[in-house]
Amino acid sequence: MIELPERTRRVSPSRLLELLQRYDCHSLVDPFMGLPTHLNYLKRHGISVHGGDLLEWFVRVGEGIVVNDQTILRDSEVAEIVEMLPGRIYSVDMFKAWEGVFFTEEQCVYLGVWHDNVRNLRSDGQTGLAILGLWRAFCYWLQKTQNPDDMQDIQPSELAWSYIRETECVVGTNLRRNTVRRGDVLATLAAQRADALFLAPPARNSFRSADARIWMWEAWWQGNPYFTIEHAYRDSLLGARASEIPAYSRALSNILSQADDYRTIIVQTTQNRLGDFESLVRNARPHVEIVAPHPYEIYLIATK
Amino acid sequence: MTLFQDTGGDPRATAARLADVLAWYGAVGDAACGNPSGFALRKAAVGAALAQSVSPDEQEHPAIAFAGLLHAIGAIGNAAYTKNANPLSERLARIEAWDVPAQGARICATMGMLPAATADVVRWQAECWDGTGFPDQLRWNGIPRSAQCLLLADVYLRAEDPDDALATVYLRSGRSFGPDAARAFTAWFHLNGGNAPAPALPIDALTAAPGDDLTLLDTIADRVDAHNGVPGRWRRIHALADATATIAGIDAAQRAALGLAVRLYGAGELFCAEVEDAQFDPLARMGIDERAKNAGAAAGLLAENATLGHAAEILRARAAWYDGTGKPAGMKHDAIPAGSRILAAAIAFDTLREGRPSLRSGRGAPMQRVDTAAGTQFDPAVVRALATAAKAHA
Repeated sequence: MIELPERTRRVSPSRLLELLQRYDCHSLVDPFMGLPTHLNYLKRHGISVHGGDLLEWFVRVGEGIVVNDQTILRDSEVAEIVEMLPGRIYSVDMFKAWEGVFFTEEQCVYLGVWHDNVRNLRSDGQTGLAILGLWRAFCYWLQKTQNPDDMQDIQPSELAWSYIRETECVVGTNLRRNTVRRGDVLATLAAQRADALFLAPPARNSFRSADARIWMWEAWWQGNPYFTIEHAYRDSLLGARASEIPAYSRALSNILSQADDYRTIIVQTTQNRLGDFESLVRNARPHVEIVAPHPYEIYLIATK
Repeated sequence: MTLFQDTGGDPRATAARLADVLAWYGAVGDAACGNPSGFALRKAAVGAALAQSVSPDEQEHPAIAFAGLLHAIGAIGNAAYTKNANPLSERLARIEAWDVPAQGARICATMGMLPAATADVVRWQAECWDGTGFPDQLRWNGIPRSAQCLLLADVYLRAEDPDDALATVYLRSGRSFGPDAARAFTAWFHLNGGNAPAPALPIDALTAAPGDDLTLLDTIADRVDAHNGVPGRWRRIHALADATATIAGIDAAQRAALGLAVRLYGAGELFCAEVEDAQFDPLARMGIDERAKNAGAAAGLLAENATLGHAAEILRARAAWYDGTGKPAGMKHDAIPAGSRILAAAIAFDTLREGRPSLRSGRGAPMQRVDTAAGTQFDPAVVRALATAAKAHA
C-alpha cells in the first residue's frame, strides 16, 4: 500500500495575483515552481511568468501550459496517445517492476504505452499537455488503491482521454514571453529578471516526505521505475547541500542575497515555519510585510 | 432620509436585517449567472448541513453557510455574464467564468461583517480533488474540506432528484471530491433521507454595525449597474426620484420604499440578455412586455425578504401605464403606487438623457418627450414634479 500525504502544499494563484497587483508587479519568477498550474493562472491574467524546477516532468508540463500559447491536443491526437497504435512496437514491460505493488498488470502495460506515445509527440506544447493529463489519470489510480470501494472503475484509456481533453481549456496567450527551465534555484534566478520573485522553498530534507505522485511520475517520464528523487533533492534543490539546519539557513540566505535585483520578494510559508524564514527575510530586505490569510498560507513580502 | 426603521440598538435585529440584504445579494448573484431562483439560499442550507458531516472545524460552519449564500456574487461584473455588444466566444466565456469564485472572494474579503473564513470558502468552492477545478487548480488536501462542502451542495442541488445526486457524487469521487468527502456525503444523505434542509442563516455569526445594510445595498446597486453596462444609473435616478417625491408631497414611508426600489430595480434586468434601454425606446409601447418582465423579476427577487420585501409592490408596478393600458393589466391612476409612478417617469427621463446615442438624439429634449407621455404613460402630476426636479438638478 502506498502512503499519500495528508497535507498538500497550497499555492493559491488568485491570492498571489492580488499580491502582485497590490505591489504593481507585472512579471514573476518562481524557481521552485513544481506543477506550474499557478503560473498558468497568472499568465492568463497578464503576468509574464518564468518558472524553474529540478524535475523534468514539471518543466515539460510548463512547456505545455506556460510557454505554449496555442497548441492543443485534438480528439484524434489524444486517441493516438491513450491507446496502443497498430504497427508500433511498445516496451510494455517497462513498468513491470510496479506491477502488483502499486498497479495492476493492465495499468503497467498502459503506463509503458503512454510513455512511448508521449515520447513520440513532436510538439513540446502537446507533450506537456499530454503529461499533465496522463499524470491526473495516474493520480486517480494511486488514489483508488487507497479507496478501492469509493471510486469508480474507469477504463484506462477513457480516463486518460478525458483528462487530456480537459487540458485544452488552460492553453492561452498573454501576449508576453513566458518561460520555464530545468535547473536549480540559483540558475533560474540568474537566468531571468522580473518585478517579483516568488519563493515557496521546500522544507529541509523534504525528499523524505515527497509525495509519491510527484516522484513516481518523474520515474515514469524517465522510463525508469527505480528512479529516486532523493539525490537531486538532497544535493541541489536549494543550490547547495542543505540537510543540516545551519546549511539550510545559509542556502536560503544565499538565495535571498542573489535575488537583490528583484524589486519584490514574496516568500510563502506556514505558521509552523514562519520563524525559520522571517529573520532571514528581514536580514535581506528593510521592509517586510506579513500577509497571513491562513495558518497554512502565510506570505512574507519583502521590498527594498 | 432613512430607508430602514430604527432597530433600537438591538444587535440581533440589526444582524437579521443585514442577513436579508445578504440574501438579496445572493439572489442577485444567482440572477447574474442564470441559476434558478432561491438557489443561493438552498445552497447555504445544504452546505451548512453537510458541514456537520464533512468539515470537522465547527468554527467554519457559519462561514460555509454564508459562502453558499454568496457563492455567485462574483458573477456580477464578470465578463462572461456582463451585457456586452460583442459577446465572448463560448471558450473565452468559460475561461472568464472560472474567475467568478476569486472575484466573489475579493468582494467577501471587503465585507467585514462576514465570518473570517467566508472569503476563502467562496474562493475555493469550485476546486476539484484532482486539480481540474478553478480558479486556483488546487488539488487533494490542499483544498479545504469546507470548500468541498459547497461543491457537494452544488451537485446535490443541480441534480434532477436526490438519488441522481448520490450517483453523481459517487461517479465523481476521486475526481471532483476527495473520497472522504464523498463518503461523508453518502452518510449524510442516508441519515437525512436525501431531503434538503430548510433554509436558515446563522445570523449570530454576523458582526453587524448600524448602517452596514445600507452601505452594502448601495455597493450592490453600483455593481449591478456596472454589470448592466449603465454605471452610476441608480444614483442619478435616486437623486431625481427623491427630489420628485419631495415636490410631489409623498410621505416619508413611501419615499423610503421608493429609495429602496431605485436601488433594487436594476437587478430585474440581470435576467435579460441586454439592458432595457438597449432594446427599445422607454416611451414606446413595443417594449412594454420586456419592461414588465424585468419589473416582475426584480420584485420576484424580494420574495420572502422581510427587510426589502415592501419595495416589491413598487417594483412590480413600475411598468404600469397611468391610463391602465400597461402591465400588470388593469392597474391605472391611483391604483398604481405613487413610488412606481415616480420611478417609471424617472427611469424614462434618465434613459432619454443618458441612454444610448440613438435615444438621446433627435425628437426633442428628454423632458419634452416625457411630457408628451403625461396622462397616458405617466401621471401628469408626477411629470410636473419631475420637470421641476430636473430643472433644479440641471
